[in-house]
Amino acid sequence: MPVSFDYERCDGCGECSAVCPGDVIYMRGEPGRKRPFNRYADECWHCGSCRQDCPQTAIKVVFPPDMLCI
Amino acid sequence: MEPIRLKTDVLIVGGGLAGSNAAIAAAEAGASVVVMDKGKIERSGDIGGGVDHFLAYLGEGGDWDTRDAFLGYVEKVGRGTNHLSHIESLYCEELPAAIERMARIGIPLTQPDGRFFRTKSMGQPGPYWINFNGKLLKPRLARAVRDLKCKVFSRVMTLDLLSDSGHVAGAVGFHIHSGRFFVIEARATVIATGNTNRIYENPRVNPFNTWLCPYNTGDGQVMALRAGAALTNMEYMRMTLLPKGFAAPGFNALTGMGGRFVNSLGDYYMEKVHPLGNRAPRYAVVLHSLDEIRAGRGPIYIDCRHLSDRDHAHLQTTLGYDKDTLPDYLAQRGEDLRRNPVEITVSEGMQAGPTEVTGSGVKIDGNGASTVPGLFACGDAADHNRCVHGAVTGGYRVGRSAARYARSLHAAPAAAPAVTRETMERFTAPLHRESGYPYEQIEDAVRKVMSEHVGTLRTDLGLRTGMAKLERLESHLDDMKVNDLHELMRSHETRSILAVGRMMAAAALFRTESRNKPYHHRVDYPETDDRNWCGLVVLRRQGEGFDCSFERVVYKSH
Repeated sequence: MPVSFDYERCDGCGECSAVCPGDVIYMRGEPGRKRPFNRYADECWHCGSCRQDCPQTAIKVVFPPDMLCI
Repeated sequence: MEPIRLKTDVLIVGGGLAGSNAAIAAAEAGASVVVMDKGKIERSGDIGGGVDHFLAYLGEGGDWDTRDAFLGYVEKVGRGTNHLSHIESLYCEELPAAIERMARIGIPLTQPDGRFFRTKSMGQPGPYWINFNGKLLKPRLARAVRDLKCKVFSRVMTLDLLSDSGHVAGAVGFHIHSGRFFVIEARATVIATGNTNRIYENPRVNPFNTWLCPYNTGDGQVMALRAGAALTNMEYMRMTLLPKGFAAPGFNALTGMGGRFVNSLGDYYMEKVHPLGNRAPRYAVVLHSLDEIRAGRGPIYIDCRHLSDRDHAHLQTTLGYDKDTLPDYLAQRGEDLRRNPVEITVSEGMQAGPTEVTGSGVKIDGNGASTVPGLFACGDAADHNRCVHGAVTGGYRVGRSAARYARSLHAAPAAAPAVTRETMERFTAPLHRESGYPYEQIEDAVRKVMSEHVGTLRTDLGLRTGMAKLERLESHLDDMKVNDLHELMRSHETRSILAVGRMMAAAALFRTESRNKPYHHRVDYPETDDRNWCGLVVLRRQGEGFDCSFERVVYKSH
């Protein structure tokens, strides 16, 4: 997964999903308890916008093996 | 669901750095403005996550720091790919106001101590790169756009221009979450959709692991061509050098600081093959790096071990300005610039200008007007004045001239052609097919053909072979099947990528010389022929194919 979400910190505001330039991050769950997830993980540009704009600092960028090991 | 229909003075297609500056200019000139973007303009486009460099002369250094010296540099590195008069109006005349505007929106180009931090690379006669903290550039710009009451539609993909009797009168798009159509009638329309990515095979496996934004897929260039506009410089396949596994910009800063390119035999090859060494123009660095790899002297690295502690400290702070996640990447990979050379490689190819100071795309005049009334272009989608500095200066210039044009129309332009149910059904057809190919399958094939036949080494027969294969692929576009609206967007991007590929091949076939190798390297015409080819290949639509012609560029030094 290109970015990981700390669901303990996340308050479900949806800012990460809103700013993602690739429409990669979506929200799911019951109303009032929605949480983000990588719906199109392969299409992440690793731009870091979601992490920069997360008010709860709940996002970590985790590079996949095809980027770290080649 | 009925489409949302709106009328506006100026429509901006794409709210990246150029489009946002255009929106600000048009609104400040009193126009009503609509912006449509596939993302949210706070973080969309090439520099959504941040940027750290802006190219400028400031008139405070030596002889190199003047307008004339800068234009001399543009001519030298981009000879035959631009009209200097356009650079003067789109960039030079706008530069002082652009620097001031950056400070006004809260992103000054200066360091906290009020000074400019400047570095030199890519063939510059002096340190033209201003290093700055642009991590919040897009959010601040977006705020300025919204404060000016521009109507901004996020997650709307523009599908086509509304054009009638040779006049562009707006555009139609769809919302990628709701599927709702938007029909915007505009007196002036500005294409600001960036360059084309995902068009060549990616050396890092994933086609979205690109240097420039992978969601920029040439949509605007293709729409403009369909509406009758001319494009130029489409033959250039731009590339750069990037960290091996991550196509992150930011390594400009390393060469600017004094980083050295080294091969696996320990040879600092740029210092041997080019008089400007590691600070040679980008295309020359790419060419010689390709040579090293082809000769089996790869992998190649960038060596920064010799830099001072102060320089390393500066890099530590600023590397993440250009690509927020680059420091994370280097850390997770276990790289340490102080201790070891870092492996790099030549990036994927893309449709983009052959230098930092010359563009590729919609042919514009010195005010950003295309060859079709009502249609303008700026930023990386236009054939002049690209890159960060070009988007900020030229974007503003073009937005203002679009607003003036809109005001100059005494009556509303001829009614835009109706967007019928049939039109909308055509755009959404891939959603309703029972079966078909996923967009990735078509796009992979396009990348394969482009890399093998329209890549770094081109020949007449190879290009013709590539063109035939692309045409064959085109006949399968209507066989694509998508599962949701997000994939529908991607499938339309695939269409754009293929169409741009065809344009690149046609222009590359026409230009029987080589220029800015390896961006346009004809193996059958390996020399640069300034006598016959110092100028632009102008591409227009002709039936299902293209008409190519040549437009000479004249320099005073001729």
